[in-house]
Amino acid sequence: MLTLFLLLPVAGALIAIALPAAREGEAKVIALAFTGLNFALAVVMYVVFDRGVEGYQFVERFEWIHGAGFTVQYVVGVDGLSAPLIVLLGLLSMVSVLVSWKIDVKPKHYFAWLLILESAVAGVFLSLDLIQFFLFWELELLPMFFLISQWGSGRRVYSAMKFLIYTLAGSALMLVGFLVIGFGAKTFDIEALTKTPPQETIVPLAIVFWAIMLAFLVKLPVFPLHTWLPDAHTDAPTAVSVMLAGVLLKMGGYGILRIVLPLMPNEAHDFSKVLATIAGFSVVWGAVITLRQTDLKRLVAYSSVSHMGYVLLGVSALGPVGLSGAALQMFTHGCITGLLFVMVGMIYDRTHTREIAKLRGLMHHMPLIGTVFIVAGLASLGLPAMSGFVAELTVFLGSIEAHPAATMAAVFGVVLSAGYILWTVERILHGPKTHDFHDLTDAKQWWEITAMAVLVVAIIGTGIWPAVLTDTVRLGIEPIAKIVEAAS
Amino acid sequence: MLFPEIPEAAVWAIYFAPVASFVTIVAFLRTRPLLAGRVTIAAVFVAWLLALWALDTVSGHDGEAVGFAPHHWFTLFEFEVDLGIRLDGLSAMMLFVVTSISLLVQIYSTGYMAGDGGYARFFAFMSLFTAAMLGLVMSSSLLQLFVHWELVGLTSYLLIGFWFHKPSAAAAAKKAFIVTRFGDFGFMLAVVLIWSKTQTFDIFEINEAVHALPRAVVAGFVLGLLSGAAGKSAQFPLHFWLPDAMEGPTPVSSIVHSATMVAAGVYLLARFFPAVDAAPGGIQMLIAYTGGFTAIFAASMGIVATDIKRVLAYSTISQLGYMVMALGLGGYPAAMFHLFTHAFFKSLLFQGAGSVSHATNTFEMPLMGGLRKHMPITFATFVIGALSLSGVFPLAGFWSKDEILLDAWKHDKFLFAVATVVAFMTALYMFRAIFMTFFGEYRGGAPAEDHGPTHDAHAAPASSPHDTDGHGGLHESPRSMTFPLMMLSIPAVLFGLIAPTGFFGRLMEGAIDPSLRHFEFQIEPVVLVASTVAALGGIAVAAAIYYARMPASSAIRSRLGPLPMVVERLYFVNEFAETGMVRGVLHGFGRGAALVDKYLVDGAVNGAAYATRIAGDILRRAQTGQVQANTSLMMVGVVAAAGTLLALSGGLIDRVSPGLVERLMP
Repeated sequence: MLTLFLLLPVAGALIAIALPAAREGEAKVIALAFTGLNFALAVVMYVVFDRGVEGYQFVERFEWIHGAGFTVQYVVGVDGLSAPLIVLLGLLSMVSVLVSWKIDVKPKHYFAWLLILESAVAGVFLSLDLIQFFLFWELELLPMFFLISQWGSGRRVYSAMKFLIYTLAGSALMLVGFLVIGFGAKTFDIEALTKTPPQETIVPLAIVFWAIMLAFLVKLPVFPLHTWLPDAHTDAPTAVSVMLAGVLLKMGGYGILRIVLPLMPNEAHDFSKVLATIAGFSVVWGAVITLRQTDLKRLVAYSSVSHMGYVLLGVSALGPVGLSGAALQMFTHGCITGLLFVMVGMIYDRTHTREIAKLRGLMHHMPLIGTVFIVAGLASLGLPAMSGFVAELTVFLGSIEAHPAATMAAVFGVVLSAGYILWTVERILHGPKTHDFHDLTDAKQWWEITAMAVLVVAIIGTGIWPAVLTDTVRLGIEPIAKIVEAAS
Repeated sequence: MLFPEIPEAAVWAIYFAPVASFVTIVAFLRTRPLLAGRVTIAAVFVAWLLALWALDTVSGHDGEAVGFAPHHWFTLFEFEVDLGIRLDGLSAMMLFVVTSISLLVQIYSTGYMAGDGGYARFFAFMSLFTAAMLGLVMSSSLLQLFVHWELVGLTSYLLIGFWFHKPSAAAAAKKAFIVTRFGDFGFMLAVVLIWSKTQTFDIFEINEAVHALPRAVVAGFVLGLLSGAAGKSAQFPLHFWLPDAMEGPTPVSSIVHSATMVAAGVYLLARFFPAVDAAPGGIQMLIAYTGGFTAIFAASMGIVATDIKRVLAYSTISQLGYMVMALGLGGYPAAMFHLFTHAFFKSLLFQGAGSVSHATNTFEMPLMGGLRKHMPITFATFVIGALSLSGVFPLAGFWSKDEILLDAWKHDKFLFAVATVVAFMTALYMFRAIFMTFFGEYRGGAPAEDHGPTHDAHAAPASSPHDTDGHGGLHESPRSMTFPLMMLSIPAVLFGLIAPTGFFGRLMEGAIDPSLRHFEFQIEPVVLVASTVAALGGIAVAAAIYYARMPASSAIRSRLGPLPMVVERLYFVNEFAETGMVRGVLHGFGRGAALVDKYLVDGAVNGAAYATRIAGDILRRAQTGQVQANTSLMMVGVVAAAGTLLALSGGLIDRVSPGLVERLMP
């Protein structure tokens, strides 16, 4: 089932590419069909997922490279940590196709890359082998690079390049770390490594810890490794921003929870203060800079830096509640920021500008877009009854004892987020009617309505009924928390 | 008890009735505004009836909690969240107040908002607002309370900014939300702190547990609550959002300033009164003096304001100061009694101000005058509200204010003096408003086409039907508006009379531990005389200056030097907060951070990339374009690093030079 999830988008991409030039406009239909099917598959998986047992489910495996003393295998599986992320991936991939409905430059290549991207990210979330994880991690760069550099805007080549090199630099270190661990323990199997974490390695584990951690911190991203993110977002097409903020950043947090903590719990304890400090600082730094942004996309991008700081804060607390908070925050940030980027894209499509100073009074002309923008904004500032609140609160509850100062900084970030969100709403949506925008239309197309609706439902649904997430997340966090707590 | 005990489902229905009307309006009635108004009124009416039933049940229990088991919401390890109802004297009283005021405000709104383009949206927000406040007061869990606390903040944001096309309204809404959220910073830390120490959110359990906690923790917790309460209940220094909130439609002011939103802060401190009581004395002093200072500080601004709604706004801040002061002095029943009576007469006064502006098109009192003859019902009810607020015997405000003064007299003579001066000032600014608005000659109001910032009723996109019939001459407001005025006059006059029975005090103290109960109705002649002299004195001075003009206000003003100007500029708090803190400090810091981010952090990144590229160019002596140059360099690095490690672990080096690895890395 999981292999099917992994391969369906590839199949879709192949079909799209095979379309004759005259019918390349149909690529979007194929993309929607395949991402829709994949989303349905993810939901089925999530429903069938057995919440009575810990450990991986739907595991599929075969040996791939059988070397002397080690094996590289293909093995996929989900647990409570990855299952919500798979649903999120399915959801946002479908949304990405919907918001790309009007792409007419080389559409079959565009949608093919988008589908490949879904497969690559799915591979990261599903892989239970370090080498396989690494391969998918690298594979994701390819579609991202082409999507940004070919279908982007502004300094797209610069931004795509920056994204590529930054991630590559991080993943080079990660691969080194993986190899050290793998050869030391004679296996790359994550499940096996989790059961018996490596004790003796040829390089001190502290160095391995940071080698791997750095790659994940770049991806997350946190201060001071974040500057690739605003550039990549600003110049990427809407759908790519949605995928980037919605699921790609989660690869960083996921990697920390799945690989770093269970494999190197002692080092995690040694450096937890450092991580918490980075996290608290990142939250405030990101939020303060967000306040100063003049471009809507950069604004949302910097708010992501701030919000992903919560993930790291939850991780650094090293307790079950904090770790759960981190996992929840990943899911919720994916939905919320995904929706914010969708809304910014819709505004840009109509007004052809993302400059806040040029936008005003949009609520009069596009009440639906305005309303959904406000909903997304309120969710982003952590309003209760929406998914962000429970996630942030869980992080704070988990981290207050271990890192009181960083937690206070992070809670202050909540105040700042109210500032930048509501100030933005005031500037672009409120105010008198202006003549500049009188001929603009509200969101009326079915693909726009669907893209907004599914995300709003996800945000409010999980906000009002968090158990739909928490019961699953708890299963995934429990074994990790046990390992980490045993090491303290 | 007149009725059988209320079942839990019926209490939930108090909350879900307005939730249902919100959902119904959003889903089906967006294009059917009149029906939206009726659905809201019907829903709140049902809630009101059920609230009466709840109150009846609780009074049968002498205010003690009716036991309802909580319901599981979700669990994450030791983070367990239950949702439930805490129905006791305190919450039952609040349910009654909120539903009563809301019901009358909704009726009033059908007249006031008639013809507004956003009529359906207005009632949707109002339903949600009412629901959020009801949810807040009935919560059995601190987290549940916090959730609704934030939702109250959201809905007041939506309602204050209801006419978002006015930049001033949009700014006021944003300000209200952000300033109160600043207070919530402390509140949220309090929530997180208390959970980390007690592992529970149950309000009752927390109130029990505080006695076993270290004093520093209790102090931190109560300080956090105070921070939240100061934001919502507009206590100094977080008071300055409230006057701007007048930008919302007047029915919104009428409900925000009486039973909801601002009442939430005081309710929070009352709900956790056992914790407040267990906090170190210094914290209680801080609470009392915050309240006392706010009371006199805001009253001074009420005396110079020329906008009738702003007079009432400062009055609200000042009266909330009374309540907070009483809570700090241990006078929990007195604080809640004042909240109870104040809700009715303040709602009445705001509706009166709305009615006046409905006729004159303005809230500026210098443009009014002489309205007594044209608007007899508005006039009479407004005077009743003002007398009650001023604390004139035997109206409701007299009884509740006296209980607060009594607590001050018993515990802190200085605060008693402050509170008495505030009572004088209250009577002064209220009757100043009455003489300027209703007496003398009519000074013309504002022209009908005026869309100035002080004028709200008709600034809506669609023009009101009253525009056509109203501006030939002055007129009394329609029945839908005068009916609530008359209804609200009844509690403004009579509700104080329950004080001597001790019923209210017992009801409130039923909600707290028996060891904390010490309310008894008392009469202290000194307090009685002082408050009555203060109230009548204030009225007399107002009459002298603003009716008889002996001396005229301008004469007094010229003798006071720059002081009136400083007060009129609201002691420059707005300038300090907005220009100084937000624009100066926050944005200054933001600007600096953005520069550092761009040139230092990102500069380092680009610098490193540039250096790599130069190195690559030199090494390869070929200009193959940056993509290939950089990626291949990176790949070389990866392969080299991986190769080394492979060699290391494969024992290659070991074979070549035995023991080298161990020597290098012991």
